[in-house]
Amino acid sequence: MKVDYVAKAARLAAATTLSVIALSAFTLTALPIPAQAAGGHGTGHGNAAHGAPGNAADVTRTIEIKMFDNYYEPEELSIKEGETVRFIVTNAGEFLHEFSIATAAMHKAHAPEMMMMMEHGVLEPDRVNWAAAEQMQASMGHGMHKEGNSVLVEPGKTGEIIWTFPQHAELEFACNIPGHYDAGMTGPIRLSH
Amino acid sequence: MNLSTFARAATLGLGLASLAAAAAQAGTYTLTVDQVTIDTGEFKKTGIGYNGASPGPVLRFQEGEDVVINVTNNLSESTSIHWHGLILPYQQDGVPKISYDGIAPGETFTYRFPIVQSGTYWFHSHSGFQEPDGAYGAIVIEPKGREPFKYDREYVVQLTDAHPHSGNRIMRNLKMSPDYYNRKQRTFGDFLTDVDKMGLDQALADRKAWGEMRMMPTDIEDLQGYTPLINGKGPSQNWTGLFEPGERVRLRFINSSAMTYFDIRIPGLKMTVVQADGNNVLPVTVDEFRIAVAETYDVIVRPEEDKAYTVFAESMGRTAFARGTLAPREGMEAEIPELRPDPLLTMADMGMAHEGHGGMNHGAMPDMDQSQMSAGSHTMPDGTTMGGMNHGAMPGMDHSQMGSGTHTMADGSTMAGMDHSAHGGMAMAAADPFYAPGSGLAPSAANGGKFLSYADLKAQKPLYEHREATREIELRLTGNMERYSWSINGIKYKDAEPIRLQYGERVRFKFVNETMMTHPMHLHGMWSIIDNGSGKRNPVKHVVSVSPGTTVYMETEVDAPGQWAFHCHLSYHADSGMFRKVIVEGGPKQAKAGLPQSTGG
Repeated sequence: MKVDYVAKAARLAAATTLSVIALSAFTLTALPIPAQAAGGHGTGHGNAAHGAPGNAADVTRTIEIKMFDNYYEPEELSIKEGETVRFIVTNAGEFLHEFSIATAAMHKAHAPEMMMMMEHGVLEPDRVNWAAAEQMQASMGHGMHKEGNSVLVEPGKTGEIIWTFPQHAELEFACNIPGHYDAGMTGPIRLSH
Repeated sequence: MNLSTFARAATLGLGLASLAAAAAQAGTYTLTVDQVTIDTGEFKKTGIGYNGASPGPVLRFQEGEDVVINVTNNLSESTSIHWHGLILPYQQDGVPKISYDGIAPGETFTYRFPIVQSGTYWFHSHSGFQEPDGAYGAIVIEPKGREPFKYDREYVVQLTDAHPHSGNRIMRNLKMSPDYYNRKQRTFGDFLTDVDKMGLDQALADRKAWGEMRMMPTDIEDLQGYTPLINGKGPSQNWTGLFEPGERVRLRFINSSAMTYFDIRIPGLKMTVVQADGNNVLPVTVDEFRIAVAETYDVIVRPEEDKAYTVFAESMGRTAFARGTLAPREGMEAEIPELRPDPLLTMADMGMAHEGHGGMNHGAMPDMDQSQMSAGSHTMPDGTTMGGMNHGAMPGMDHSQMGSGTHTMADGSTMAGMDHSAHGGMAMAAADPFYAPGSGLAPSAANGGKFLSYADLKAQKPLYEHREATREIELRLTGNMERYSWSINGIKYKDAEPIRLQYGERVRFKFVNETMMTHPMHLHGMWSIIDNGSGKRNPVKHVVSVSPGTTVYMETEVDAPGQWAFHCHLSYHADSGMFRKVIVEGGPKQAKAGLPQSTGG
């Protein structure tokens, strides 16, 4: 599939005299495909270094996260190793925000995808444009859907994720809406025994 | 920024105001206007400064504070201080003959006004050429609430263009010979090269067209031979800001130059623009940006490696550069890039591109109906269409090969001026709609990446409700280069009637740049909302840069009674006549407390 896109991009480039899209690095947050096939971003489930989606039955704690423009409250989290936490994430700002749990490197790898979605009109400043998302899905075979480690929340709305943390990891929670992470919309997750 | 960070920044010797400690307590500040020595590392000159130095101190205010600023004039001539970008009663605005009489030698004038905003601003003399001679400083206003971004430390990065000649002498020389300071004149050799390239007829026609404009393709900086400074330090003196790897550093860029635009980059670092002219914008991450004279941009960078990074600011005409360093320790430096080749103005910058392109007049882009653009498919000469293509972010795409590409359409028109980023599905490497299509001045990033455009600026929190303007005022930016005379609608300041506005109206200003120079237009006292197609999120600024051959619209909510200055912020253009007085009629009476007071001294 990866190869397909590159070939297609190359054909397009040749046909239009324009340089086009290298799609190889392109995967969206929530593709239901294994991490290995998604370009090694490690956004898949299971053994990932950043933990895994948890079961409601295992939840030992609920943490409320408030998202503002462009910062979180609280600004950092302390979690026990292996703990399963339910995050209730409320967007109290005017703009679209994300709450995503990953390593710094994973957030960085995720950024170009979010930029692409913004440029395709899928991510508007204050909402998700689902029509544009469908269009993008149709034209490129990629779209939006929910991912275990992140939740995208429109202003005034609330989302939820349940996450089981790993034993050892340097994790951050972050908003990967273009510009937001760079402006400091991220905080450390401290794992303790 | 919290107090401890501030204390740390101060102890690191960042050139912060010695007054800063007083800021939070009393709200009383003292400035003296002094003759000073300016040492650029390349030359020394006598200039003007504040509290014994140029640049003056960084004034740190709190939003909501009532400030009292005592300014003592130690010069043998009259002076003034204008608080650039601050919203205040007009009598406190510091423009001689418009706000007040100025400050006579030996006199102390006391400014009193409330601080009703936050962000990065600056102050400077509005008398004669004292500002080009060094009379400027920075203003940092801490907001009441939390900012929509986070950083570990901050620096003011104030740029200027120190010239070995005094402002008065420069103006005399320009009047005598407008190309006095243009070291980039085209030669007979250039002409022969052109003949080679375009043939004799075309080369002659080209020269004739330029001759009729009384301009040259190299007329990008009519003042050359200066040394750009960062916080008062020349390239060899290397202003340095310290960081610890992984920290977010806020850089408050201020262009306090008399005449010089800069293209700023920090090789190895992305910059996230979070403020323009003191107002928060939706954060946009770029590789490079252009700062017009008198603008400010706040960016956040995050150097993660234990090494030095060069802050590199090339003049728009590529005649000089400012250079500083971000480093983990003092004394470190990184490679200094070469100046890129100097740009040449094109016929597009002459305004020629406006003619005959029908719907392709991208100079007026902010006005364009973009919905029609995105739906339409553009047929290329080879019959392929560009309509449904998705050129979005395209990780891995080589922008450098596309960046300067001009796409010639079947009818011979070009698309260089199009902002593809605004068109959703048509995003290619974006050309900037705030330059004439084919303009020699349109910038591109040195690394092939993202160069900030006005089109990228979107207000984080609009200051005003978005509404239809009540009327439009056209201001043609005009000039006669041969006489070094600059004007608005062909009329110089001394011959012009004031522009009269009514309190409560929303005026749409239409700037039509009929000259070949870029003009940073600055309205005092009220905000300038650039129409960049973002509707209610149009950015709120105090300087609007208008490129040659373009038309730019800005809107102003007329909410400040009194009389104000409105001018091109290039010092020698303003002085020679590209200047207006604006009178706001009606509105609430000024509170007595806001009236100017003066005490002998």
